[in-house]
Parts: sequence; C-alpha cells; structure tokens
Amino acid sequence: MKNFKLPDLGEGLPEAEIVEWHIKVGDAVEADQVLVSVETAKAIVEVPSPQAGTIAKLYGEPGDIIHTGEPLLAFEGAGEDTGTVVGELKSSGKGDGQGAQKDRFIVGAAASSKRARANRATPGVRALAERLGVSLETIKGSGPGGLITTDDVHKQASHQKQLGDAEPLRGTRRTMAKNMALSHAQVVPVSIFEDVDIGDWKKGTDTTMRLVQAIGKACDAVPELNCWFDGDNLSRQLLSEVHVGIAVDTPEGLFVPVLRDISHRNLKDLRKGLENLRDAVATRKIPPKEMQGATITLSNFGTTTGQYANPIVSPPQVAIVGAGRIREKLVPYNGAATIRRILPLSLTFDHRAATGGEASRFLGALVDALQKTG
Amino acid sequence: MKEVHEFHVDSARYLDDHGKPLSELPPQAGNTDRVLAAYRNMVLTRTFDSKAIALQRTGKCGTYPSVLGHEVVGTAIGQGMSKSDVFVPYYRDQAAHILRGVSLRELLLYWGGDERGSAWQNCPEDLPISVPIATQCCHAVGVASAMKIRDQLRAVVCCIGDGGTSKGDFLESINLAGAWHLPVVFVVINNQWAISTPRSLQSSAETIAQKAISAGLPGHIVDGNDYFATIEALDAALERAHGGKGATVIEAVTYRLGDHTTADDATRYRTAEDLKRAWEKDGIKRLQNWLHDSGHWSKDKEKALQADCKQAVEQAVEEYLATEAEPPTAMLDYLFETLPAALQPQREQIANKYRGGAA
Amino acid sequence: MSAAERSNETRDVTLVEAVNMALHRAMADDENVVVLGEDIATNGGVFRATVGLKEAFGFKRVMDTPLAENLIAGTAIGMATQGLRPVAEFQFMGFIYAGMEQIVSHAARMRNRTRGRLHCPLVFRAPFGGGIHAPEHHSESTEALFAHIPGLRVVIPSSPQRAYGLLLGAIRNPDPVIFLEPKRIYRAVTQSVEDNGEALPLDTCFTLREGDDVTLITWGACVMETLQAADKLAEQGVSCEVIDVATVSPLDRETLLCSVAKTGRAVIIHEACRNGGVGAEVAASIAEAAFLDLQAPVVRVTGYDTVMPYYRNEQYYLPQVEDIVTAVEQVIAL
Repeated sequence: MKNFKLPDLGEGLPEAEIVEWHIKVGDAVEADQVLVSVETAKAIVEVPSPQAGTIAKLYGEPGDIIHTGEPLLAFEGAGEDTGTVVGELKSSGKGDGQGAQKDRFIVGAAASSKRARANRATPGVRALAERLGVSLETIKGSGPGGLITTDDVHKQASHQKQLGDAEPLRGTRRTMAKNMALSHAQVVPVSIFEDVDIGDWKKGTDTTMRLVQAIGKACDAVPELNCWFDGDNLSRQLLSEVHVGIAVDTPEGLFVPVLRDISHRNLKDLRKGLENLRDAVATRKIPPKEMQGATITLSNFGTTTGQYANPIVSPPQVAIVGAGRIREKLVPYNGAATIRRILPLSLTFDHRAATGGEASRFLGALVDALQKTG
Repeated sequence: MKEVHEFHVDSARYLDDHGKPLSELPPQAGNTDRVLAAYRNMVLTRTFDSKAIALQRTGKCGTYPSVLGHEVVGTAIGQGMSKSDVFVPYYRDQAAHILRGVSLRELLLYWGGDERGSAWQNCPEDLPISVPIATQCCHAVGVASAMKIRDQLRAVVCCIGDGGTSKGDFLESINLAGAWHLPVVFVVINNQWAISTPRSLQSSAETIAQKAISAGLPGHIVDGNDYFATIEALDAALERAHGGKGATVIEAVTYRLGDHTTADDATRYRTAEDLKRAWEKDGIKRLQNWLHDSGHWSKDKEKALQADCKQAVEQAVEEYLATEAEPPTAMLDYLFETLPAALQPQREQIANKYRGGAA
Repeated sequence: MSAAERSNETRDVTLVEAVNMALHRAMADDENVVVLGEDIATNGGVFRATVGLKEAFGFKRVMDTPLAENLIAGTAIGMATQGLRPVAEFQFMGFIYAGMEQIVSHAARMRNRTRGRLHCPLVFRAPFGGGIHAPEHHSESTEALFAHIPGLRVVIPSSPQRAYGLLLGAIRNPDPVIFLEPKRIYRAVTQSVEDNGEALPLDTCFTLREGDDVTLITWGACVMETLQAADKLAEQGVSCEVIDVATVSPLDRETLLCSVAKTGRAVIIHEACRNGGVGAEVAASIAEAAFLDLQAPVVRVTGYDTVMPYYRNEQYYLPQVEDIVTAVEQVIAL
C-alpha cells in the first residue's frame, strides 16, 4: 500500500477535520479527482488526488482530526522504495524505452595514442627537418626517451646529400608508404593463387564488374573474409554489407575509391557507380569520404602486367583480391589440349583474422562465380 | 520518582606502600615462579628505561617516553595475556612489550627512528605503538570483532592513558565493545598526568572506571603499583573475555614517575613533593619487600638480577648501535605490496641520487 | 555453491546495483570479506548498495555499526590486520572527515610503519558528489584530500560495468582503497554486466572514445557530461578522445601522455573545486612530460572554489556540457 499524507493546506495550518469522503475503498480514482473535504480553522478545503490509483484504505472518518503529514488514505500497490534517504536519484534504463547499453572501453591508452608517443621532437627540430628536407620518420632519435635531436637531423640530411637530393614523399606516395608500413607491422599475410578459366565469358565483358560481383558472391558464401579486425583488442566485426575498395592507378598515384553495398545493388546501378568512381578519380574530384569504409579490396593489376601477386591487406580489412593479366594458356580441357583464356587470381588474407580453410573456400567461391557464363 | 538502575565501582589493593599485606592475598600470590618472573621483568624494564633515556641524552636515540612507574601494570598485562591474544598498546607499554616478545633492540630501533622497530618477530599480530591518542582503541575492537566473527577463543588487551579517555575514539570503542559483546580488555593506565594536564582537569568523573558504565561494561579500579591487585584483575578480565562473557574496563591507578618524554621537563608543572610522595608508593619496591618478607628473595639474588639486566640491556644497545640504517629506497618499498608504476620514477630518482649507500 | 557451480548470470544493472552485485560476488568467493557501516545490514544501505547481503551471508559478516565514523574506520583497520577484508561504508563522503585520522594516520601507513608485518587490505566506500538535490553536507567531492595521502588508492567508477570490475579489484587489493561512488549517476545508466567475478585493473585509466583533436580527461559523474560534450563537438567536426581516469591515485600518467602526444590538446573536467583539485596534478604531469606535444595550454573545467551551494543553485556549480564544449572550442582555436 502507498500512503497519501495530508498535504500542507496553506498558511501553516497544522491540522484539519474530515468533513466528507467523496470516494470509498475500492474506487478507482484519477489524478486531481477530489477525494475528501476537510475543515481547517479557516475554511472547508477539497483535497485532490495526487495520482491515479485504487483506494486501499481510509485513515479516518468524518469528525476525525488529521494532522498535516499524517496518512490520509492509502492507494493499492507497492510502496515505492525511493532508494535514498536524501534528495532524488534520476533513474533510467529500465522500462523507459532506453535499453541496457554495453560498456565500451579500452584499458589504458588507445593503440593510436601509444604510437603517437614514438616520434618526439621539439618544434625547433621539426622546423630544421622541414628546412633540410628530412623526414622525421626516417630518423631514430638519439635523445632521452627517443627524442630526435638536431644532430640526428643533420646526420640524416648529410646522409641524404651523399646519395643525392632525396625527394621527400608527398601526398598519395607518402600515404602509401605509411600505410604499407603500418600494414606490414600488423598483418600476417598468406596468399593463395588460382587460375580462372574465363573462356566462356561473352565478348565485351567488363572484367572489373565481373570481379566485383564475384567478390559479392564469395562474401555471401564465406562472410568471414568480409570483416574488420582489431589486432590490438583481438576483436572482429563481421559486416553485413560489402563495400569493395577498387584500387586505381593514376599518374598521381594509387587511389582506392569504394564501391558501396555491392550485394544489394543491381548490375545497372553497379556499372553506373563504377563509372562515376572512375571519372571522379580521373578528374581528381574524389572526396576523401569516398575512399573510406571498404570491407574488402580488389586490385586489378592485370590491366597492365603481372600474373600472380600478394597485394597488401589494408587493416582493418582482412582480405584483398588480386586479378592478373588475362592470357591465353594451353591447358587440358575436356580431355584435349586446348588454348583457353585464363585469368590468374590471387587472394591475400590476414591469417590473424581468417583461417586457411575460410580463405580457400572464399577463393573457390570466387572462381566459381567467375567461371560461370555471362 | 524511583531508582531504575544502580551502579558501583570497586577498587582493589592488597599490599601497603611497604609491601605488607593488608588482607588475605589472592591465589596469584601462591604462584611463586610467576611472581618472581614478574619481579624480574619489572627490574629489566626499569634498567632498560634508564639506558634508553641516557642514549637520548647522548644523541644516540630520538625522543623517548619513559616507562618509569608503569612497570607493574605492564608486567601484569604481559603475564595475563596468552600467546594467541593480541596486544594493542599506546606508547608507554615497554614492560608489556618485553613480555610479549618484543626485543630490547626492536624497542630501541623504533624510538631510534627506524621503522623496523615495529616489524616485531615474536608477536607478529600485536599492533604497533600508537602515537595518535586513543586511535588504537578502535583497532582493538576491530581485532576483537575479527576474533568473534571467526569464533576464536582469543582476546585483545588495549592500553590507554587517563588523557586518552577524554577522546571520542575511547568512548566509541568501549561502546562498541559493549554493543557487540567483544572479547577485549581495556586497561586505562591512570598515571595522573597527560603531559602537563593533571587528572583533576581531565574529567570531573570521580573515577575513569565508571565510564565503562556508559558502555554497559563492568569497570574496576586497581592500585596500579600493587602487583597482586593488578594481576588478579587482568587474569579475571581475560578469563571473562576468553569465556565469551564480554569486555571489561580496568583503571590501574599509578603515577608517571618520569617526564612525559625526554623532551619534556615535568618540573614546570608539578612539585618535587608530589613526586617524592609518588616514589614512596613505588610498585617495584613494594614487591621486592614482599618477596624478601616471604623468603623468596635475597640481596645476592638482587645483585645477580641487576647484573643480568645490565648485561641484557648493554647487549641490546650494542646490537642497536651496530644496526645500519636502511637504504633510502626503503622509503617507498613498504608503501604498497607492489610499488605502482606511477611511483617507479620516484624510486629511481632516489636510487640514483643516493647511489652507493645511505645519505 | 562452489565457484565452479555458480553460473555467471548477466543482468541489466545500474551503477549502484553493480556495486551490490560485486559485493555479493566478493563475499561469496572469499569468506574473509565482511561489510560494515551504518544502516547497511537490515536496511540494505540508504542507497540499497548492500541490499540482500545480510540475508545471504548473515549478521556476523554484515554488520550494522553504531553511529561513529571514526570507529567504523578504526574497527575496519583492526579487522584488516587480522586478515579479514573489510568493506566499510561511510554513508556519505561528507561524513568521512570524522574518520580521516584513522584513514590517514593508520590505514595508509600500517604496512609502511611495520615494514610489511601488518597491512590493511580494506576498502572504504562512500557515495560522493552533488547533483541529487540533497541537503547540505551530502554533496562532497573532496577526493583530492585522499589522493594526496601516500599509501592510499583512490578509485572512482563511472559506469555499472566499471563499478563492478573496479570494486572487485579494490576488494582483492592487498592495500587500502578509498572507493568513491558518484551518486548522481547511481541510477542514471543501465548496462548489461556479467557476474563473472572478473576484476578490472586498478592504477589504469580507461579510454572510452578515440579521437584525434583533443583529449578530454575526467572521472566520476562528469564522464556523462564529457561524453555528451564529445557528441556535440563531433557534430562540429571536432574529434575528441575521452579518458576515464578511474584510479585518481596512483595516477596512470602513461595513458594520459600517450593521448596528449596524439591530440596535442588536453581539457580536464572534474566536479570538485579547482584549487588543489586532482586536475591540478594531471595538468602538472602533462606540462612536465608532454610539453613538446602540446599545441595549447592544458585547461581545467571544474567546480568553483566555494562550498557546493544548496540544491536550488547547485546546477550553477556543477560543470555543464556547454562549459566543456566552450573549453574545447577555446583550445581548438589555438
């Protein structure tokens, strides 16, 4: 039962006499509904209900005196535990539509922060390095705590001079160097190679389009290779959508725009998307956002030369598909030596995140999808 | 109006100032070996005490609080306790510490400014000397609570001075001892002085023992210079505690014959006559006379005992003076079980600064 | 039930319920863990932090004490020297001051002064901080007083999961821990927490959110406002790294310095007043060891140097989301 105590009726009146009850035990009342008339020293006052509820008990009869703060009546239901002895505690979570959350945290520093502690140099030394065309990342600091000193910079500068003017890397070249090093430091790469017989492809088939679709099918069959892997915290997120990063070589360097959600788009849409991407890259009008969020990458290096390769997996992705130069090859076909068109396929995967079996099955699915007529 | 409760406080004494029995002695008087052991401890304590003061005066020891006058009550505590009991001292309990197994060298180390002086080898569970007044009383009831929670037949003896009983910690602790029915004996060593504050200014309560009543505990007064009265009270209180019958407060009335510490000069606040009168009540003299009268002691035995004690103290002093100070890094080595990473740089700093030994 | 037989239930719990869960777990796993304080047994604690413990473990291990904070602290110390692992509650941080002498003079230095012979594996818990419309003296945030005492650990959880793990860590730690529970968020957030008995490490910060532009350093209830500020700032394109200090002392400087090395900017947020607050120690540590990484001064967003006002005006005292956003905008502009 939950008691309703006689509220302060104003002007410090300490008590009132019950004149008439307007409800009885068992009644369902609404908030503000008049419950009882009481008489104070000054007037007859009507007391409204503070809440909706069912009357469980009345604590007096007409003629009884009730003091301010004394229970007047009780509502049915559990007396609410305020859960405190002073003040009010704001509640949330249960039953207010906002479900329980999961606590997310890293113990200690984020990996990116730990790495940031590595290259340390005073502003003066940084300026000197810039002036001399020396990259700080090429130097291992000899100062306390790995601090890079002016001597270190001078040494590196003269070293570079002996070899001729070193060209400091800028832009995409610079990014490429950094990303490759990062990948190398973390990823455990394993590659599997296979030949795809594309002799049954129709004339004029867009190789890249076929490869993209095949990747979509392979991700369906083996979703373990379409995921983001966190090597520092040893966790992975299997992803429901497939966003393929398509490596494009330009005079300005390597770009990897992302063709999004390929499994849920139709062929026409995909083709248009791919065209737009190619145009955007060619005209250098591609915004940085378009190059983020890939879940797997395609390197179609065969457009120039090369058969098999083990291209670099780009964390947090766990796989990259490499397509080499299509060539004619003499192979056994239906029992006879035949010249068939072959597309050499490479799959490199991060063995921290995927098993050999998963990779192998993925490659198999790729091959199947590619070898279908179309 | 009617009386709802009546309380009384009793007081016990068996020997007059000269050691002559005033009435029939308690059974403890018949345990000759124990009485002789008590006398020896008192003499050893006093011998040690004068040496410690001398060391301070010659710069070989830090500020030291003389135990002169407390030898009887300290000895009774040490004898009454079992090995498995826990002693919670204040800072003038040398006589009890010695019987509990604290070595003279350890005592000198503590007052000589070396923390190892509290790393007692022989009584590992006794609490260390307590300087913040009366705070040890709360520890005592905590220790006793642990014993009770684990259903152990052990007890705690907690010492405190007359001044300390004015502090909240004392009152809160005897209250808890009563409310939780704990196996603890509080021994209030009323030596009449809290530095320069005489007993009369400390409280208007007629006795300190009666403060026990406010906690629902029995309170007894004993003449703290009378070995038989004191040991009888301790034995009874410990038997009560061991028997699960609860706590007791004993007020042992005595006199602080020395200064508060070697840094204090008591002539600033008390008269020579007062001190002379107090010496006439000395407990060691009393017991010595009784032992002589009972035929258990002789001048030769006294001479031999004095020589033994002198030798024991001298050996302890030698060992103490020969003890090298800890390396400076010891400052951080016992702060936590494992030094946190946050403090490692400071430890390295200390180690580097003082490379090659103590500063 | 043995540890092996007991299943690890996962429950949706608030912070105070997580404290309760951890206490149940600790007491079930180790019979030396005992709990004491005012109104904690029959009443289950005024915030229900100890609810159910007396029923589960009995009155010998779950003790209602008389009204005496100094006694609570001292008794816990005595128990700890006997090998019990007491978790003593101070009903509000405002009443812990009566126990300061015992905490500072004894708990913090028992191991040191006995050269390891005795030590105090205890936890002193107290709800702390303002913002619940409480009467005066019930909104204290004086963690800096304890952070200054060598030999003490000061741990402050800011989420149900971390409250569970950190309290277990504190109880199992062989040295004294002051465990301050931010009562403003006692019930503000619910999380799924597995009762697996796993402690979180003490002496370390937690990185709640990664970012590149500024490091927000905070603890306790202010974590809520800080995360909200980070959300607002993200809309403006400012990427904030949010760090929950959790163990205020000893401080995990390494995590803070790594983050500042990356972002170059630090803003510290705490409810406690500014002068001599823990934020000052954090700021000094960053200035000392990461000066070369800083692109702007280290800024503190704190309570004012005055007594927390009575509740009608308490929102003027507590750091608000706007204050944090403004501070970040100022350092980003530099």
